[in-house]
Parts: sequence; structure tokens; C-alpha cells
Amino acid sequence: MVEPVNSPLGKMLLEEVSPVVMVLCTPLVEETFLKNGLSFVETLKPFCNFSNIDVPVRTSSDQLYRLKKFTLRLFYASDIRQPNVEVAKQRLEHVITQAGEKDFQDLKSDPPQISDILSNPESEIAPTWFQYYNKELIRTLSFSEHEAFDHPVACLLVVSSKDEEPINKFVDLFNTNRLPSLLNDGAMDPKILKHYLLVHDNQGATTERTSKVLSEMRGTFGNNECNLLCTNSSKEGNVEHQANPWASFKSSASAAGKLGCVLTGDDIVEIKDLMQEFTSRHIIPYMEQKVRELNQQISATRRGLKNQFKNLWWRKGKDDVPDSTKGPMYTFSSTESQIRILGDYAFMLHDYELALSSYRLISTDYKLDKAWKHYAGVQEMMGLAYFISDQSKKEAEYCMENAFSTYMKLGKSGFQNATRCGLWWAEMLKARDQHKEAASVYFRICGEEPLHAAVMLEQASYCFVLTKPAMLHKYGFHLVLSGDHYKNCDQLNHAIRTYRSAISVYKSTTWSHIKDHVYFHIGQWYAIVGMHDVAVRNMLKVLDCGYQSKATQEIFLRDFFDIVKKTGTKHEVVGLQLPIIDISSLQVIYEDHRTYASQASALVEESIWQSLEDDIIPSLNSGKSNWLELQSKLLPKKYRESNVCVAGESVKVDLEFRNPLLISTSVTSVFLICELTANPDDLKLVDKEPSNSSLGPESSTEHNLGTTSGFSSFTLSEVDFTLGGGEKKLVRLTVTPHEEGILKIAGVRWELSGSIVGVHYFQSVPVKAKTAKGRRKNKLTPTDALKFLVIKNLPRLEGSIDHLPGKLYAGDLRHLVLELKNKSESPIKNLKMKISHPRFVSPGNHEEELTTEFPDCLKKGHEQNIVQRETNGTNSVFAFPKDVSLQGDRSLRWPLWLRAAIPGTISLYFTIYYEMENVSSVMKYRTLRMHYNLQVLPSLETSFEITPSPSRLQEFLVRMDIVNRANLDCFQIQQLSTVGCRWGISLLQPVDTILPSKSLLAGQALSFFFMIKDCRKSGTEEEKTMSLPPSLTDVKLVTQDDDEKLFDIVNSPLASFHESERSCQGASDKSSPNTVDFILISRLAKSSNPSAVPYLPEILSHHSCHNSIRSSNPLSWSLDCPQTIYHNFATSLCEIKLNLIIRNTSNGLSSVTIDTVDCLPDTAAPTPSSVNQSGWRYVPSVTEEMKVTSDVMGSRLDKPPSSMESSPPFIWSGLSSTKVQIQPLSTAEIPLQISVFSPGIYNLSSFTLKWEVSEHENASSGTCEGYPYYLTVLQSE
Amino acid sequence: MIVCVAVVGHQNNPLYIQSFTEADDALKLHHIVHCSLDVIDERVNNPKKSGTTLNEAFLGLLYPTLNYKVYGYLTNTKVKFIMVTTDLDVRDTDVRSFFRKFHAAYVDAVSNPFHVPGKKITSRTFAESVSNIVRSYTFN
Repeated sequence: MVEPVNSPLGKMLLEEVSPVVMVLCTPLVEETFLKNGLSFVETLKPFCNFSNIDVPVRTSSDQLYRLKKFTLRLFYASDIRQPNVEVAKQRLEHVITQAGEKDFQDLKSDPPQISDILSNPESEIAPTWFQYYNKELIRTLSFSEHEAFDHPVACLLVVSSKDEEPINKFVDLFNTNRLPSLLNDGAMDPKILKHYLLVHDNQGATTERTSKVLSEMRGTFGNNECNLLCTNSSKEGNVEHQANPWASFKSSASAAGKLGCVLTGDDIVEIKDLMQEFTSRHIIPYMEQKVRELNQQISATRRGLKNQFKNLWWRKGKDDVPDSTKGPMYTFSSTESQIRILGDYAFMLHDYELALSSYRLISTDYKLDKAWKHYAGVQEMMGLAYFISDQSKKEAEYCMENAFSTYMKLGKSGFQNATRCGLWWAEMLKARDQHKEAASVYFRICGEEPLHAAVMLEQASYCFVLTKPAMLHKYGFHLVLSGDHYKNCDQLNHAIRTYRSAISVYKSTTWSHIKDHVYFHIGQWYAIVGMHDVAVRNMLKVLDCGYQSKATQEIFLRDFFDIVKKTGTKHEVVGLQLPIIDISSLQVIYEDHRTYASQASALVEESIWQSLEDDIIPSLNSGKSNWLELQSKLLPKKYRESNVCVAGESVKVDLEFRNPLLISTSVTSVFLICELTANPDDLKLVDKEPSNSSLGPESSTEHNLGTTSGFSSFTLSEVDFTLGGGEKKLVRLTVTPHEEGILKIAGVRWELSGSIVGVHYFQSVPVKAKTAKGRRKNKLTPTDALKFLVIKNLPRLEGSIDHLPGKLYAGDLRHLVLELKNKSESPIKNLKMKISHPRFVSPGNHEEELTTEFPDCLKKGHEQNIVQRETNGTNSVFAFPKDVSLQGDRSLRWPLWLRAAIPGTISLYFTIYYEMENVSSVMKYRTLRMHYNLQVLPSLETSFEITPSPSRLQEFLVRMDIVNRANLDCFQIQQLSTVGCRWGISLLQPVDTILPSKSLLAGQALSFFFMIKDCRKSGTEEEKTMSLPPSLTDVKLVTQDDDEKLFDIVNSPLASFHESERSCQGASDKSSPNTVDFILISRLAKSSNPSAVPYLPEILSHHSCHNSIRSSNPLSWSLDCPQTIYHNFATSLCEIKLNLIIRNTSNGLSSVTIDTVDCLPDTAAPTPSSVNQSGWRYVPSVTEEMKVTSDVMGSRLDKPPSSMESSPPFIWSGLSSTKVQIQPLSTAEIPLQISVFSPGIYNLSSFTLKWEVSEHENASSGTCEGYPYYLTVLQSE
Repeated sequence: MIVCVAVVGHQNNPLYIQSFTEADDALKLHHIVHCSLDVIDERVNNPKKSGTTLNEAFLGLLYPTLNYKVYGYLTNTKVKFIMVTTDLDVRDTDVRSFFRKFHAAYVDAVSNPFHVPGKKITSRTFAESVSNIVRSYTFN
């Protein structure tokens, strides 16, 4: 801690509480000194401060001590009065304005960092002009009546030697009429030390006259009291002073050079000596003597117990006197004033003990007298005395507090005094490092006047910085308060300065409400003082104010644009907050060897494409056997990792702009900032001329390249849009390089409301770029991800599929055309295509194969191109024929068949691989990727059930259940076909009876019955016989227009789709031959709602594969014998030979045991049902028309009456039990024989088949009863 | 009447600040809350005055301004609650119980798994419960 004397307050006290010398001088004296540009007092002022005057002093005690530092204050007599309040106010205001103008230039710079503020030395934190201001403020209170230290101690009478009658002048000068009123009305002691000074101007007066006047003076006033001051010795008047002593006192710097120009060094020394002598010889001894005198006097009257009692009693007596508001008026001669003078003199002579005791003495008196102003003044001095003598801190503070509150109690009149007291108090606290308390004192002396308050608040704020630890929140708050007050007084410079400091507090915080307020207002103020660019810079910070109310946002924006307009130029702002760019949304789409047919396909995840392209893209090692050369020569090492794009093809950047505000804003001319530099290695390899590298050296001004895209080597797209309140927009920006080199996307640039340009550089963020190998290149630095190696122009295939419907019914079969266009000059070759869903799409075989109208070409009778597809199943790569190569600027139309296989939403991916001809480049091949989405609606659903026919070995019954699942539309069923040549199919009922309405309504379900027949020759299982005419495999289910041809299901699209259906419907036992594949072909009946499906489907095909024959046992058999036999029973019994044909339908070897049952039906039989059906039957009367039916159901229905049992039975006359082994899928014939004794109808069902199948490991066995088989035996004639 | 409540994170970042006045004095209240952080810091760093209440979260009257009284509360996680009231005659026990309820509401809000610690509290439920608590305290 600093010694109190050396603290700012100590210095201040030394200056302010010092003897006052009243100066009385004639106009001629002034004239003399004005030659130097200085008044008389000003000339002497620098020489009134003595740092080491070294005068021995003895006051009350006998102890001698030496004064070191001493100051005199010189005032003209006319100035010795209480200053006018208004004038003082103006002067203070002037001080502030001047200070504001002085640091106006600093305001342009950025606000200081808070850490800088904290690390500054204490003295530099607060601006220096505060000290000056405080001094001026204290000066406004000088010469108050209740204090004595402003009372003049001495009087200096100055007369020039040029004056007429100088002696009389001296007398006149001290004429009472001209003395200040304070001396005349008794507030100050007019009997003071007088000193006479004769000024001799070397320029205009003769020395003779001067010496004569001097001796005359000495005679009149006494030898000691008179002095001569010779001045203005320099004739030329151009003396330059090295360290001009007046410079610090005169603020106007312009005249500084002139100050003291006619004073030589000798003159200055003379002035100095004069003052030194005047102080040490006259003033200090005079004061010393006066102190001693007063002390004696007071000791006699007031000190001691007796005197105190007396005084107390006397004062008590005065209690009756009603107080005037100002308290009793004390003249200089009253005891109280004398004591006060004693105290002040002692204070000025640095005898603080004496001063304190006098003050203490007087303060009780004043208190008793209720002379509050005097009391407060004394308390104030006590506090200061305590402080400066470094005595009890507590006492000092208590006194100051007391003084302050007493002054405050006085109301408005005391406020100024309170201010001074507060300033001293605050300084005192500051000197003791109690900054927080100091701040609160400053806060208390704010008062109502805004300018004053502003200065005090600002001083308070600096105190908060100085507290340990710094209270930055309060610092900021007080600065803001102070700034507001400054603003109210139109002290804009100061307002800006305080807010600027406040910014440093709030800058890094998230207190956005406060932050916005500070930035907005400082921006406004900067604009008012004309610093528009700084204003804009500050205003930018408030633009992202989405949390503010709409009205506030509007104000912010309006003012911002106003200011921007005033600047007159289009500012370019890096990191403009409006609109906000969502960097995580940044997506770069570009095409290297992968090209995309559409936007949608570019957004598909890379892994899907990759898995699709695995087969067709040559792997790096096999495809480029010379990869070493290729890679190392064409791709310089440092670019191997960078992305590749092709000249003439655009790189697209998707970026999301978000408007944080509630107000819609327009954003115009958004484009990318790019830079295209020549590849440095290219320059080496090929003799590229500087034409390309013209952009190279301009990297410093890279963002300007965008604007001059007219002749630069790339083109940029420009986007305009409007963002509504809180809206987000994804914007696509493109850049198209035209030359080879290295393209760098540096950032994006936009114009906000046409008045300010925002720039955003993509640097500090990881970029999500779709890059070459499908991985997100996170390992690269983001700038690398936005760097592209531009390579030479390459052919690029464009592809599209015409008329691909977005929505169709399941089973819908369409003919589409894939159109490939090569827009460049050079041809491409070796085209290959892969489709993600071969079940849905199958490529045609020939270019432009369709000669006839679409659905008809599928019908029979057209050119049959039953091409067995050699590439089916295993891989679905479709290689275009070798001779297909696309010449430059030509297009290729290739047919595609689309069939919506299953309902749902399907994403179809096509990738087309092609190689470039005649291009020596890094890229040997490219791929074209297409992506389409299909929505497939459910339509018809079929299910088949196949059961073996009981009567025919090779025939099966088929039940087709069909449901229309569509929501609205009706379907006509056209045709049902079996696939392959094995199964012939025929209807059991005419269609009209099943489906009279001819179309299946939405939601309707129906069953159809068919019979299928295995046309395969027995024994030749595995070979495909073409024995069956293909027409037998189809059933037409439409009755009208009979001439319409059936669809040819072996034709390419249907057949190939069926192939893929087969593999997709993938039954596990694919090898099982006992499965039937059906193709149902239907067409849409007249649509009730034509707009539901945009392209009406022509035909729909439904494939149902691997329908196995539902049967519980692996055997099927039939009895082979005539149905009616004529026999003459008269001659013999009838022996009938039968053949039982058994077919093993299973895949395993089966052994079958045939047991014939001879037992009579009337004997007990284990299974009544079978027994009931055996035996004799009533012979119908119409014997000629025997009903021969194989319908099992029918026969079962008309059960014979159970009572008819009295039939002559028949006997199995062959083997009663036979066991055969039947190979898988083969038949065996077993001869049987029965003997019949009489004519009748016999049911030959009384046999059982016991079978055991051993299929692989699974063995199964079972028993079958015979089917009823009726044999009619008639008597022959 | 309670005019403002605030939750301030341990880095002195505002997590929640809500004023309950009709007048447009949000800025002023923000400043008051912001300023009182200094006082809280001071209290916490120099606990000599409150030797007996060392473990208590309630910090008491932070500072009286001309029209307001500012009370503070510090949780274990160094989250500060600040309450500004215009009532001049307030009993400490009332304020204590107010802060206890407020603390409970805060705990509920930050227990939400979707709340990111250190980010502003945007829960509507929290805002509702806070305004309910505020409404139930008038201190007079």
C-alpha cells in the first residue's frame, strides 16, 4: 500500500489544501506578462510547487520539523469568491467534451479484451481525464464560507515600474472597495500578510526609474516586504524553452511554443527565486506565527476542563435561539472560526495532530449549534487528517461517512459538498484498496444530473475492475448505466467509449438480451458520429436475434439497413449471421467416374451403388494392369486423395440457409466462391501456357474471382430466394469448371436485401461430401474435401427411362424405353447394365425390337423369339451387344420390360457402365446411375390348389382362388397358362358360368376349377419333351372376340420374368418336378377412375410358381380294365383280368404291398364306409347308357342305399398279396384278377395298398383304401 | 411480488430467465440478475461471514437496490438461482421455502433425458411450474 501522502489523495490534498495567495496587480503588469501569452498568475504558477522547500517549522509544540513539500495557490482577488454554479457547470461540461474529443480516434478500434483490461496496471484502467475532472469539480466549491483553507493567507500587490505613481497604485490596489466581498463581509480575515512586488519590464522601462521606485517602495512599506521582479529580458522574443514549465498548465497546445517566449532562463530563475523566498521567508513564518498565536488564545479560552464546562453551559443557553436553516453565521473573529482557522493552518503546515485536536474541539461546538454544514466540513477535514497522518482507518472512514451523510441531509445545497466529500472519501478507500466500497461511494454521489452521474458511474465501474477479484458483471453494468447517461447528455463519444468497454465484458457471455442491447446501441451511436463502418460491424452482432420479439427484430433490421445504406458501399461481411448457414447440411455432389441421371439418384447411399456395381466395374488391379504408371503419372501424389471432377461438368453444393428471424428476408445472388488454379504438375508435364495459370497468382483475391465469372475459367450459378420467418431452405449452388486444374470451393457469398454482402468460408467444419469411393472422406481435412482435381473433358452418358409410371398395379407389364445419349464428341463402348431388381425389370434383346403395338406383340403368331437366356439367374449383368457403341452426339434407345412383381414401394437402381474410346485419361470408364421409385399397388392375388384326380392317373384338379385386392379397379381375366410343356390345362366349366360379369370387381373373390394333365411320357422324366403343342398349355378365360390370340408365355419378357419369379418365389424343393407354374394374364377392365393410375396398364401377368400337388400319399393308382363286360354266365364264371397301375409320385423308392380283401361285406368289417361301398349294386334299368364318370365327388354323393347287401360277391382270384418296389416317379403295373359269378355292378374297391417310402432319410409309411371302381358285368346273349 | 427468477449455470451462463412484470423492463432485470452474479461469487469465495451456514444453499439477500431485493441460492452443482422481488418486507424463511420449491422444479426439468446439461432450459412444464410457484408467493 502506498503511503497516504504519496497516494493520489495525498497529492490532491497537498495541492488543494494549501495556502492561498491573493494577487492584486495593475493592468500594466498584466500587459507586461501577456507578451508571453500568459497572465501574471499563470506565469508564477509553475513555480508555486515546491517538492523540497526544506523550511523548519515549529507550531504548537516545541518540536521543530521541516516541511518538504509545499504548494501555494495564487488567485486574483477577483477570483476569490464562490464560483457561479452555472459557469462551473459549463466548465465541467467543457472538460468532458474535450476529453471526449481527445479519445475520439481510439473508438474506431475493436474493443479491448477483458483479459487485457485486467492485466493493465491500475493507473491505466481509468482514463486520466477523471483526475482533471475531479479537480475541477472540487474547485467549483472553493472559497466556501464554512471552510478556512481557502482563506487567503497573504496578499501579493504587484505594480509595474511603468505605472504612474507606483506607490499610490500599491495603496489603491488594497483599497477595500476592490477587495473580494468575502473579505469585506467578515467571512475572511482581511488583515493578512501583504507583500509588494515591483515588476520591471526590460523591454519598455528604464532601470533608473525602476530603482528609484523600488527605493521609494522600500521606504514606504518596509525593506522586507518589497521585491523587484525583472522580466522580459529577451529582446527578440523567440526563446524556446526545452521543458516548457507552462505547457502542463495551459491546455491549448497551439500556443505552447509561444509561452514564455520573451523570458530568458535568467528571468525564470528570478521568478523561481522570488517565489521560493516569498514562501519560505514570508508565508510559512507568518502562518507559523499565526498558528502559535491562535493556539495560545484557544488554549486559554477553550482547552482545559474548566473552559469546556463553561463553553458547554454557554452553548446550552443558546439553545433557545431558533435555528436558521443555514445555521448561525460565524465571522472570522468568532472563536469557532478561529479554531477552524487554526486547524486548517495546522493542516496546511502538515501538523496533523494539532489540526485534528482543533477540529475535534470545534466539531462538538458546531454540532451543538446545529451548524450542520460547518460540522460536516470539520468532520471531512478530520477524516482527511486521519487519513493523511495514517492514523485509525476506522476513524477516518467514520468521519467521512459522517460528513457525507450530514452534507446529504442538507439537501440540495449540501449536495455539491457531499460530492467533494465523496470524491475524497472514494480516493481514500481506493488508496486503501477498498475499491468496492469506493465504487459504492461513487454510486452514492451520482445525483440527479445525468452528466455528473455518468462520470461518477464510470468511475465506479473502474473501481469494480480494480477489486480483487474483479467484479466484471458490475463493471459492465455500471458502464452501461454510465453510457446511457452520457447518451442523454449528448456526450456520444463518451457513451460509445463506455459501451465499447462494456462489450468486452459481455462479448463472450451468452446473456444475449444484454448483448443485443449493447451492440445495437453502440452501433446506432457510431452511426450518429459518422463511423458507419464500425457501426455496421457492431450491428452485425445483433442480426441473429431470433429470440427477440418481432417488433425488436424489425427495429434492429431497419436500423441496420439504414446504417448500411448510409455507408453507401456494399460491405462484404465475413460470417454474416443472416441468414444462418447450416454447415452440417453442406453436401457436395459431383461426378467423377460415377455419373448420375437425376438428382434423386445422386442422393442414394453410395453403398447401394457400390454393391450394384461390384460385378461390372473392373477392379483396380485387374482393370488397370498398368496401374503403377497410370496412377503415378496422371495423378500427382498429393492429389491422389483429392476428389476428381471433369471439366465442363458442374459440381453441385447443397447448402441450407435458415432465417433465424420472424421477419422474412430476401437473399439474392447467392453463389459459391471458387478458385481454379492450374495444376502445378501439369505445367511441368505439358507445356501449358500461362493462359491457364492466369488465375493462379490471384489466390489472394480469390473471392473476387466469383464476380468476374464472365471471362474466368469456371461458371457459377446464382440463386435468389426469400426466406420467410424461421424458414429453412436448401439451396443448390453449382460451379462448372471449364479448364483443367485444381478447383477449390472456398465459400459462399450472398447479398442480404440487396445492401450487404455476406461471405462464409467453408473451413472450420468437417464436410459431408459424397466422394469417390463412397466413403465420407473424414480423414481428409475439410478443405481437401472441397478441393477437386479437374480433369479433361470426358464423354458423359445421359440416360432416362421414358414413361416410367410412378404408380402401378402389381403384375403390370410395361414396355419401356431406356434412352441413352452421348452428348460429347468421342464415342463410348462396352456398355453394361445392371439392375437392382431383375424381378421387376428385364432388358430387351435388340435395339428397337418392337415393331408392333405393345400388348399384341406378346401374342402368339408374332415373330417368336424364344431366346433362352443364357445369363439367367446367376448374375443379372446385362451386357449390351459388342457392336453397340455410342458415337458422339447420338442416342441409343433400348427396350426394357417392366413388371411390377410385388406390391409395395420399390426403389429401382440402374447402373450403366461404359468405357471411353480414344481418351487417354485417368478415367477409363464411367458409370451412369439411375434411380427410380415405384409404387406398386396390390391387384389380383391368386392361389392354387392342386389335387390329384382320383380317376385318372395323370390328371389333376386345380382350384384357383382369385381375389381382387385393388381398391377401385376391376380386372378382366384373360388367360391362364401353365409353364413348360409338361402340363396341359383345360377348363372344367365354361367361364361364363363362373364369371358372368366378365370382370372381377374390387374386393371380389372367386374360385375357378381347372384340370391339368401331365403330358410327360412316363419313364422319360427328366427330359423335356416337346410333345405337347404349346397351345394346350393355355386356357383362354375370355369368351368374347374369339379370334383374339392368346399370349405367348414363352416369349421373352414373360418367360424371363417368369424365370426371375421362379427364383424369387424360391421353393426349396426346386428339383421337385411335381410342381406347376401358372401364369395368369389379366387386363384392367374399364377403369372407374381414369386418373387413379396415370398410364392404364395394358396387361397384367401374375406368376405363381412351384404349386405342388397336394396329396397325402405318395402313390396314385388306377385300375385298368373295361368298364362293361358281357359274359355268358351259363357257361362259366367270369374271370376278369385287371391291371392296377401304381405310380410313385414321391422322390423316394417305395415298396407297395397290395392286399385284396375277399371277405364278405355282411361279415363284420373294420371300416363300415368302405364295406358299404363294396359289393353288389342295383343295376340301373338303363343299362345302355351307363354313366361313366370319373367324378369322385359325384359318385360319393349318391351313396347307394346301405340295405342293398344281398349281392353275390366277387372273389379276388389272383394273388391275394403282392409286394412291389417302385422306383421314384415311375409306375408299376400289377395284374389282378377277379372272378364274378353273376351279372351285376361290382365295386372293386376292396383292396388296400400299404406303402413304405424311404425318401432320403425320412421313411414314411401308410395305408390307402381303394377307390370305388364300378365294373358292370352283363349277361351276354 | 416476485418480478424475476433466473437460473444461471456454473459458468455464469443464463439457463433460464423469466420476468413476471407487465412493463418492458426485461433488460433491466437481466442486468440486475447479471450483476448479482458478482455478489454470489463474492459470497461463495469469502464465506467468513456465514460460518454457521456454510453448507446451506440459500445465500440470502444479495443486495438491495432502490426498488428491488435480490436473493440468491446456490445448488451443489454450482447452478445459481436468483430471485428479484419488489417486496421490501420479506422473511428469510419464505424465501428459503420458495427456493426449495424452485430447486425441486429445476431438478425435475434437468432430469429430463432430452435436456442437455449446460443448455438453456426450454421445458414448458418447467416454465409452468415456476410461474405457479412464483404466483403462490407474495411475501406479504
